[in-house]
Amino acid sequence: MPTLKIDGQEIQVEKGTTILQAAQRLGIRIPTFCYHPGLSIAANCRMCLVEVAKSPKPMPACHAQCADGMEVFTNTQKVQETQKAILEFILLNHPVDCPICDQAGECVLQDNYADYSLSPSRLFTKKVHKAKAKPLGPKIILDAERCILCTRCVRFGDEITKTGELRVMSRGEHSEITTFPGKTLDNPYSLNVVDICPVGALTSIDFRFKRRVWFMSATRSVCTECARGCNIRIDSFQNKIERYVPNYNPKVNQWWICDSGRMSHTRWTANRVTEPRNTRTESSKTAISTRDVADEMAKALVTSGKASAFVLDASMPNEDAFVALRLARAVGSRLYLGGRAQNGPQDELLRLADRNANRTGISAIAGPSPLPGLAEFQKDVASGAFKTVLFIGGEHEGPDKWAKLLEKVSVIGVLADIRSDLVDIAHIVIPAAVPQMREGTVVNSHGRVQRIRQAIRLEPAGVVFPYWRILKRIATTAGLEATWNSERAIFGEIVASMPQFAEMTYDKLGDLGLPLGSNGLSDVDVDAATRNIDPSAPQYRKTNINSRMPWQH
Amino acid sequence: MAATVRPVQRKEFKFRESSYLPEVLRGLAITTRQFWRNLVGQRDIVTLQYPEVKKRYPNRFRGRHRLMLRDDGQVRCVACMLCSTACPANCIHIVAAEHTNTSIEKFPQKFEIDLLVCIYCGFCEEACPCDAIRMDSGRHSLPTFSRSPQNIGKIDLMEIGSLSIAKQGGKNA
Amino acid sequence: MLELILLSVAKVMGIVMVFVMAVAALLTWIERKQSALIQNRVGPNRASVAGLRLGGIFHLAADAVKMLTKEDFDPETDNPLMFRLAPFLAVVPVMLLFAVIPFGPGEHFLISNVGVGALFILAVSSLGVYGSTIGAWASNNNFAMLGSIRTTAQMISYEVSMGLNLVGIFMIYESVNLQDIVIEQGSLIWGWLPAWGIVLQPLAFILFMTASIAETKRAPFDLPEGESEIVGYFVEFSSMRFGLLALSEFIGIVAVGATAAVLFLGGWQIPWVQGTGGWLTVAQVGAMILKTLFVVWLQMAIRWTLPRFRYDQLMRLGWQYLLPLSLLNIFITGVVLMFVEQGRI
Repeated sequence: MPTLKIDGQEIQVEKGTTILQAAQRLGIRIPTFCYHPGLSIAANCRMCLVEVAKSPKPMPACHAQCADGMEVFTNTQKVQETQKAILEFILLNHPVDCPICDQAGECVLQDNYADYSLSPSRLFTKKVHKAKAKPLGPKIILDAERCILCTRCVRFGDEITKTGELRVMSRGEHSEITTFPGKTLDNPYSLNVVDICPVGALTSIDFRFKRRVWFMSATRSVCTECARGCNIRIDSFQNKIERYVPNYNPKVNQWWICDSGRMSHTRWTANRVTEPRNTRTESSKTAISTRDVADEMAKALVTSGKASAFVLDASMPNEDAFVALRLARAVGSRLYLGGRAQNGPQDELLRLADRNANRTGISAIAGPSPLPGLAEFQKDVASGAFKTVLFIGGEHEGPDKWAKLLEKVSVIGVLADIRSDLVDIAHIVIPAAVPQMREGTVVNSHGRVQRIRQAIRLEPAGVVFPYWRILKRIATTAGLEATWNSERAIFGEIVASMPQFAEMTYDKLGDLGLPLGSNGLSDVDVDAATRNIDPSAPQYRKTNINSRMPWQH
Repeated sequence: MAATVRPVQRKEFKFRESSYLPEVLRGLAITTRQFWRNLVGQRDIVTLQYPEVKKRYPNRFRGRHRLMLRDDGQVRCVACMLCSTACPANCIHIVAAEHTNTSIEKFPQKFEIDLLVCIYCGFCEEACPCDAIRMDSGRHSLPTFSRSPQNIGKIDLMEIGSLSIAKQGGKNA
Repeated sequence: MLELILLSVAKVMGIVMVFVMAVAALLTWIERKQSALIQNRVGPNRASVAGLRLGGIFHLAADAVKMLTKEDFDPETDNPLMFRLAPFLAVVPVMLLFAVIPFGPGEHFLISNVGVGALFILAVSSLGVYGSTIGAWASNNNFAMLGSIRTTAQMISYEVSMGLNLVGIFMIYESVNLQDIVIEQGSLIWGWLPAWGIVLQPLAFILFMTASIAETKRAPFDLPEGESEIVGYFVEFSSMRFGLLALSEFIGIVAVGATAAVLFLGGWQIPWVQGTGGWLTVAQVGAMILKTLFVVWLQMAIRWTLPRFRYDQLMRLGWQYLLPLSLLNIFITGVVLMFVEQGRI
């Protein structure tokens, strides 16, 4: 256990700890470019050079390991001069086109220049010009001029995805990142290189020029695209989701996220269900409200009684599932667990075949006997056992023709967040909120309970509601008691009745979540986790999704 | 900071003032004199007969915005949104797009200023890094019969634009 | 009988329609023009007929056309009848005042020679408050209601001292008939001084003018309705209804002018000229009109000279100064008259 001093502060660290890690533990900031906690150490940017007593030359803090009795200085004049020189060197051929660079605002180079240099350029010749806006693959564009050759992207391809598409080509000031001839950067995790690129050299075609980063509000949430439950940051602007960015969670996704998860927000915005529909009765009213159709659904459920069925969505948050189970059992309906396909692409890194976010959670809440799946449902419904079926969620893996399967069912109701074939044939369509518009908890395939948070307002207001609110309305109309008024309250009820969730609260779940059966005790050293977050990740701003200017309606 | 109190001597009203009458007559004398002076004698009138007579605006008058042009007549703006960031009234709405020319790269597909919301503070031209937006047109915003013409777009803004002496992209580009 | 009716109609037309309405209409323009010149501005000058502007006098016509063609807005009220009646309630009393004002010697320049003419004026002018109160009540608007409360308080306060100021006049001329009062003012004191009200009752004249301006609700007493800054009792009125309310104020100014001329400035009397008939009558009518216009001008000039009173100042002035001073005036007049009658002066 070496003991060393950094800027006069003494610290004892485990063997093998680098100076940078030790300094981070002490809260001392050392600027970096190429260092990334999830990648191997390259020590090629030299930004983290610090002075070590009795060492003739400054040492790279990210690479140098702590030794007993070491004395490190991070803020001497020599270090400052070194940092200025490094920044001048890095910026020598950098185009400084921050106004048109998407990274501006979350750029490590901008931050480090502002904090450690602020010296004007002394260059009097023309800058070296390299490839501009060169597509590396279908999702990523490279601006070689902005690149500072930290090789984070190269190491990511080598070490994380093990595809190794990227290399540094040429020498000296003509060096530039490129793919091997004939190869493109197109793997299921390729967009992570955009996140880890400390400058604006790698930009995502999806997000390119869409929004300046400082306009957006950030919300920590969970990706609902598969059972992994990767932590994400939802960046939104004026109630529109602009992008997903991975968030560090050592127990789930580390620093990464798959491309399909990252791009899944487009799925939610493109196919929303935003108006109620009731094709069963000729309504004299010109406009029907969500309440009207919910009441209609309640009547149908009560009339059918035991001849009714609930098909739950394996992606729906625990709170909704809890309310749905209570309602279904009170009415006497049969329960099935539907949802999206369970044979999606899978790999060792993050992606899981089950494309539903909360199968583990719903199974935990449903009790000891597992809920029958869609296969059983198809069998039962074909036998004509049901007069009324209520689907929760718009997307269910099903037969090619839902209409043929459900032709004997007299009332097909859907609480639909997303448009699908099923929604098109349903008699009663109740528009529901997409996950980004609500609070809740989901449990990933490894049994980790994590919070999803509201990033944008419910829109259209007064028309779409979270599932549990609609289910509460149905329950009230059906004459049952339903008193919950928030997701927190329902979660409290879950915690009270399910031992696996014991001692949990929304606040205890926090940013990193808790495993099922943990009794509210965290399995992550939260302090260490925050230290490990890429220092280039932008700080969370306090967001208030309900605030907007009157003219922004 | 210690508060310094300076007593102000209020003028004591004598009977002459507090009885109003002489003071009212004195005031009447002033207004009457001014009335006749302006009616028949020397005219002190400062009003300008606006549409016929116009006062020259000062050089630093902040008028309607204009978008400056590149040498080839394209819009100089690179859609960096610094103006809409600086704008305290949130009246600048820009939609950026990819330019076919990779050396230009980014340009405003839509550039709208809502003149009804604009407070003419000049922060946008102050913030602009490439001399693309200016408020030196000397024109002020004209009234219209509806709101929509006040939301002026790129074409209108470029119509009164001109070339800039600044080199696009900076001196080492 | 028919002759009497025709004659009365002719007199009403002549005095009210030709003189009063013309002056009141002109005042709408004169007031703007006068204030402009006092404040080194130009004033209205844009309206033109065939390229002729004539200092903007055509704004009269333009205003009338504007008033008549503007939207006639009806507020949501439970008293639409009262709302429609209010402008007439405001304008009729001020017009009625001219029924007893002698514009010249004899019967021909006086619509009705009422024995109690001066009292008629006091009685009718106090009816004006109904127009504003009912209008404000019927417009179903809190601000209008508050404005009308201010109006009522102000008019009632100043009516008292206005009436008391005239008592001195009645004592001296020993009549409440306006024609008699004017004839009395034709005599000369000590052979050279015209026996006008302003000479014999200077204090009463000042107090009367103050109270009258307060009665007509004009600056410095324009607290009921202060154009751009104080919402007043006719905020809900639009189009020609508003025009009528505004016009009633201007007619009120002319009425105050005529009353003051009759009571204090010798009416149609030309000083040191005795007798009537022929061209002299014409000159005397002209003198009356000139005197009226002078007082009108005085009111206008005062408006553009003095700043507005605060409401507490307004009330204090009315009750604590004007009223005691009016009573003092009556007392002094009585004392002096007693000595005059005993032959000591």
